[in-house]
Amino acid sequence: MIRYVAERLAQAAVIVAFVAAISFALIHLAPGDPFSAAIDNPSINDAIRDRLRAQYGFDRPLPEQFARYIGQLSRGELGWSFSHDRPVRDVLADALPNTLLLMSVALVGSFTLGILIALVQVARRGSATDHVLGGISLFFLSMPDFWFAILALLAFTYWLPIFPVGGAVDPVMHEYMSIGGRIFDRLRHLLLPALTLTLLASASVARYQRAALLDVLPADYIRTARLKGLTEKAILRRHALRNATLPIITMIGLSFPALLTGAVFIERVFAWPGMGYAVVNAIAARDYPLVVGAVIIGSIMVMVGSLLADILYAWADPRIRDE
Amino acid sequence: MNSIAHSRQSPLGQTLARILERRSSRVALGILTAIVLVGILAPLIAPYDPAAQPDIVALKELAPSWLHPFGTDPYSRDVLSRVIYGARLSLFIGFLATLVSLTLGVAYGATAGYAGGLIDSIMMRILDAFLAIPRLLLLVAILAAWPQLSVGALILFLGLTGWFGVSRIVRGQVLALKHAEFVTAARALGASRRRILWRHLLPNLVSPIVVAATIGVAHVIVLEAGLSYLGIGVPQPEASWGNIIRDGSDQVATLWWMSLFPGLMMVLTVMTLNVLAESMRGAYDRSST
Amino acid sequence: MTASASSSTALLSIRDLRTYFHMGSAVARSVDGVSFDIGAGETVGIVGESGCGKSVTALSILRLIQPPGRIEAGSRIEFEGKDLVTLGDEEIRHVRGNRISMIFQEPMSALNPVFTVGDQVAEVARIHAGVSRKEAWNRAVEALALTGIPAAADRARQFPHQLSGGMRQRVLIAMALMMKPALVIADEPTTALDVTIQAQILELLVDLQKKFGTSILMITHDLGVIAETTSRVIVMYAGEIVEEAAVDELFSKPHHPYTEGLMHAMPHIGRELERLNVIPGTVPAPTDWPLGCRFRDRCPYSWDLCAHEHPPLYQIGTSHTSRCHLAIEPERRKHPHPPLVVMEGAAVA
Repeated sequence: MIRYVAERLAQAAVIVAFVAAISFALIHLAPGDPFSAAIDNPSINDAIRDRLRAQYGFDRPLPEQFARYIGQLSRGELGWSFSHDRPVRDVLADALPNTLLLMSVALVGSFTLGILIALVQVARRGSATDHVLGGISLFFLSMPDFWFAILALLAFTYWLPIFPVGGAVDPVMHEYMSIGGRIFDRLRHLLLPALTLTLLASASVARYQRAALLDVLPADYIRTARLKGLTEKAILRRHALRNATLPIITMIGLSFPALLTGAVFIERVFAWPGMGYAVVNAIAARDYPLVVGAVIIGSIMVMVGSLLADILYAWADPRIRDE
Repeated sequence: MNSIAHSRQSPLGQTLARILERRSSRVALGILTAIVLVGILAPLIAPYDPAAQPDIVALKELAPSWLHPFGTDPYSRDVLSRVIYGARLSLFIGFLATLVSLTLGVAYGATAGYAGGLIDSIMMRILDAFLAIPRLLLLVAILAAWPQLSVGALILFLGLTGWFGVSRIVRGQVLALKHAEFVTAARALGASRRRILWRHLLPNLVSPIVVAATIGVAHVIVLEAGLSYLGIGVPQPEASWGNIIRDGSDQVATLWWMSLFPGLMMVLTVMTLNVLAESMRGAYDRSST
Repeated sequence: MTASASSSTALLSIRDLRTYFHMGSAVARSVDGVSFDIGAGETVGIVGESGCGKSVTALSILRLIQPPGRIEAGSRIEFEGKDLVTLGDEEIRHVRGNRISMIFQEPMSALNPVFTVGDQVAEVARIHAGVSRKEAWNRAVEALALTGIPAAADRARQFPHQLSGGMRQRVLIAMALMMKPALVIADEPTTALDVTIQAQILELLVDLQKKFGTSILMITHDLGVIAETTSRVIVMYAGEIVEEAAVDELFSKPHHPYTEGLMHAMPHIGRELERLNVIPGTVPAPTDWPLGCRFRDRCPYSWDLCAHEHPPLYQIGTSHTSRCHLAIEPERRKHPHPPLVVMEGAAVA
């Protein structure tokens, strides 16, 4: 087990290095360099730019620059964000918790909802309920994240104004609230974006879980369970679901890229101050180091997610746990 | 019992015949054909020029009416015409980018699967690394570096970032088929490697590839719209569904028609593609068991 | 008509059981009008090649047939005064694992890989005895010990993959006997096991049967297993019973040519028939059984009567029946000919 985790960690490290190499290549293939990107700022003249280039080593030969870049990355330095005038690391460190909050609420929510939907579908397989729920999940699966977010925003902040328009907290009043009021304020702001991401993500969970349950049902041990005199519901809940949990753990690992992508758009639409929001603003401000930094952190998040899912998988399956 | 009736058809023909047995896939195919026709015939169907700005004061931001069923945008352009031209552009990008992905994916996957051994495992490790990077983030990194790329370059990058999944499917199929009896038989008869690959393996790959391509087109359409919405997709003032939504995104509440209609078209397109992919996969699974 | 040893006091009484699978326009008549009885404490064997309907018969008794299969109207399975075919879902569940239980061929796949074996055995007691988790566990350990599993308390905490094939089969037997059922259906209980383990498991089943007075329905394609364990044998072919007799009678005086063929295919006890396959040809497809005798193509005695008249079960001894027209024209047995499948095969070649 420990060896397995170590192997996976080594693999992940190689992949991060690979991502870093790609982003390094992108930085240097792109027209100009990060310093010419700050062209909109009239207060920075060419002399200052050259000094910055020298300061960050952009005048050195490429291999040396790459070695420096990797060295910086391994120390957690991601460069300088021009639009924020702060280190990229600090900007992302501020944004990351908000993204993680949104993603984890949506992760828990979408797996709970998705599994419930799948259980209902499989318990009534072939019925109208099964088909209708299947159609709804396909509809949600086909919806671009940002469009559904816009619809949710339109519906619940303008037409039926029960949620605040955006942000993580009330921009003016939050400072003056009591602790309870602040918590409520945060929850109020979190609910709509989190719900949106949950609904979007639960569609694929439901579809995947339904297929996993249907895969398990013809197994001999399900017949054994029937033979014991268990009810169909108990068989689904106890025997089938427990076995279909293994594929669902794999699904957790696989769902991180989609969750992260969804979070980028949802943060943009709801002005939720997370990494996605930071990236979108960085694109507009041509703050390329921030964009690349966010991509690297995003890739690491996805990798850590799939690694955790794999470990969880090994732990949940007694056959693998022993090896 | 049905397999006997279909057995003289090619695997793809069988799959197509099977999916048309289902009403949902017939409906989906009908809708998709209609959307494709709208895209192809856009210049004939669109009531206005999608780029024309007839009166940016009097005709801007008009709510849907008989004259402008989908309303007008802040530059007084007709949203219906732009949505129709958007269908043309989105489908064009989806189709071409998927073609690029398929070519790369099939070549890479078939090579890895057929070579096997060390080459295969190295190629798969590289693939793992690519798959670990979320496609959207990778595209954001690339497209943010080159602002205002042409549509051609956008297609190329969408294609370049979309082949990983396909190549994994192809490799799996090639590995499975490599040891199938008919391939062994062909080899025993002295067929060359290349001949085996082209004559025997690829025809068997057609069905899974068509499924992957259908889903691929749907993905690209959603991605392109998302990137355009973020301002790094199709260059302005070209009409794509994502661009139209972006043009209205500063005033979502007042210009709701600019989000609603292009989005509905997009969902309809993507959903029909997904329905078709699903029934094809079902038909393919049934015929292979 | 049937040759039951004790039809008036039968524990299980099956009458005209028909289990069909409806696949589109085709109907597979897997079990096609089967009737037999099992007395209390009796061990009855069903023997036949794969595809003859013996396993479907077993699954039908517990109503474990999944769609598109279904038990056709008019079939009756009487057990302890109830008709299992028309019993409500709730009541049939009360029978399963409690009054009738079943042991399967594949002891690995029949156990759920993610629960400990103790859990899975205990589950039976939790369902039917309504006892506490702890009490159910104790009973499970007891049952496991009874089936000869050493250090049962420790073994109970293990997962199926940690046990050998023989041990897993003992677990399934423990599960089946947990509630001391009136009838145990054993569907090829030893096929997947090594020869030495096979003998141990059969011995265990016979021992436990004596201890509890349980009836056993032993389903197998291995006449050796039949000879060792049963007192009465039913031979099935193409969804029907073709011969039924006491075990000694069947072995000394087989009547149906199919039974004869099975006997010839059995050089030693414990060897498997299907691999030897000395009866030429195969079982016809259940979607189109032949009109006359279903064994005609493979039979060395068949004549024109067999082509158009489906043979009834002829009474040929006190408790011996056979579905073969030889019962009315016994002299034809003296003049065998190559079976039709062989002649047709020769003609094609």
